[in-house]
Amino acid sequence: MISSHQRHFPRLKRIQNLLSHNLLLTLGLGLLACSSSAADDSNSSKSGDIARGAYLMKIGDCVACHTAVGGRELAGGLPFETPFGAVYSTNITSDKETGIGKYNYEDFFDAMHHGVGINGNLYPAMPYTSYSLLTDEDTKAIYAYLMSTKPIKQANRDNDVSFPFNLRFGLKAWNLVAHDAKIFTPSKDKSEHWNRGNYLVNALGHCGECHTPRDSLFAMEQDKHFQGAIIEGLEASNITPSELNRQNWTHGDLKSLFTKGYSRKGTVFGGMYPVVYHSFSYLTDDDMQAVSSYLLDTDEVIEPQALTFNGHKPELPGYTLYKGYCAGCHGQNGEGKPNVAPAMAGNATLDKASVHNVVAVMLKGINSQHYNSTTSFYAMPGYADELHDEQIRDLANYLRLTWSTQPGNLDVKTIHNLKEVILK
Amino acid sequence: MSQSIKLTINNQAVGPIDVADGVMMIEFLHEYVNLTGTKFGCGAGVCHACTVLVDDEQGISEVVRTCINGVERFNGKRIRTIEGHAKQNSLGEITALSPVQEAFLEHFSFQCGWCTPGFVNESTALLERLKRKPIAKDQVEKVIEDALSEHVCRCTGYVKYYAAVKDLILNTKGLTL
Repeated sequence: MISSHQRHFPRLKRIQNLLSHNLLLTLGLGLLACSSSAADDSNSSKSGDIARGAYLMKIGDCVACHTAVGGRELAGGLPFETPFGAVYSTNITSDKETGIGKYNYEDFFDAMHHGVGINGNLYPAMPYTSYSLLTDEDTKAIYAYLMSTKPIKQANRDNDVSFPFNLRFGLKAWNLVAHDAKIFTPSKDKSEHWNRGNYLVNALGHCGECHTPRDSLFAMEQDKHFQGAIIEGLEASNITPSELNRQNWTHGDLKSLFTKGYSRKGTVFGGMYPVVYHSFSYLTDDDMQAVSSYLLDTDEVIEPQALTFNGHKPELPGYTLYKGYCAGCHGQNGEGKPNVAPAMAGNATLDKASVHNVVAVMLKGINSQHYNSTTSFYAMPGYADELHDEQIRDLANYLRLTWSTQPGNLDVKTIHNLKEVILK
Repeated sequence: MSQSIKLTINNQAVGPIDVADGVMMIEFLHEYVNLTGTKFGCGAGVCHACTVLVDDEQGISEVVRTCINGVERFNGKRIRTIEGHAKQNSLGEITALSPVQEAFLEHFSFQCGWCTPGFVNESTALLERLKRKPIAKDQVEKVIEDALSEHVCRCTGYVKYYAAVKDLILNTKGLTL
């Protein structure tokens, strides 16, 4: 069962915000180019295309947005609240009347690559800014799959977008300045694995939409690709190779995180949970290896280092707080509990220069996460109503000093300012 | 290493007591103050059998799990456990059950009773909340579900617990509009 929180997509809300500024980024991905290794079989049979299209659609995470809570798969209707009204995802089943059954391939290509549907421009909640990097063969495979889906007759809901944002001609202008539809070509100086990973991460996975910061005009800062950004009170982490390698992520750690939701370095939370649940957990072993090769920028084996535990310091005020509030689940020595709570030792969220997510999680908690019959994580409670700023400071400093390489020098003002951003 | 713990349990001052490091609250209740009514279920904070009430200065209660929270969290606080709900005489004999306890008995809500202390505490907190802020009658079922949904019962299938609380809320003056 998918509960409502699992259908929460901060990326989309963020992209909706762009509309109100009538501006967008150029996805700093033009330089990253690659063709799918699986895309070489452009003459494959119709059925082969469908099977591959089904897989590509998973990795592109189409179901997550195009399925309403409790609704039929791909029949649309999931609302995305924006400051100027709700936008609803559309029916992309093969139904000719209410779905995309009457789209020919060229129509579909235009929607995926240029953000133009047969009824006009699409809102960029549909990440065509990333999907435009898809190869023609892969776009065809996804088309073949969608045309093979059971037609579901379900009329699209009208968007409740207010004037002037409901005038879609603005999107044409926006596409002109912001959207550069270029299909990937591989980098010759990188391995096949790396190129495949680049393609999966940037085209299908559309990871940059959340993980790349945007400037004050909401344009993506191309020179800060994957350096992390704040989305709805949480920080989409810095996932550059230098940061991931500094934190000692191994290929196995990333595989574990993306396929199971947890790893030696911690668990996913917030907007990454639906990404893992609906999409990345379906990556084949080869593609998973490709993704980690790209993200870590190496095909070489990375040796796991010992997880950081600097020993308890009972004289610090955070010690009592940790023992009272945290140790029951995260372990007396921060070792965590399988399927309950991640370890503090080696935790990547803790070992970041930014303390944003540490404070956010303390204040707001984490929703429960269900992956399958053997893997679920129970919710972490939030303590916004119980712990005051001084206690949050003491606890955050204690966690950082005890289980990370970060300094424990946060002050109350920092916590207070973060709280305003996180709880607004 | 040990620490000194002092708190109020069921209106009685307890401590200061030296408590070893790493003691969860349920262990403190069982082993240090001999209050064994709070039950240890899953030990991972999921089943909610072990919940107690933590009352603030205004008398507003928070329902807290004792199997995953260390005794430090409760230091200096006022708490209520299952032992504190029924009325007792000076000899410590029970003279009257609380309305929630009565309702659970009347509705045959439990069989083995392991989850009952948690249900009693959560339902009591719910009733006290409704007393401060009554709700419309058609909201009662939803409010009960929201309050009790995380409590696990393996005997009676929940229906009798929920029916008891619903009956009690609808028949107690001032809880509904």
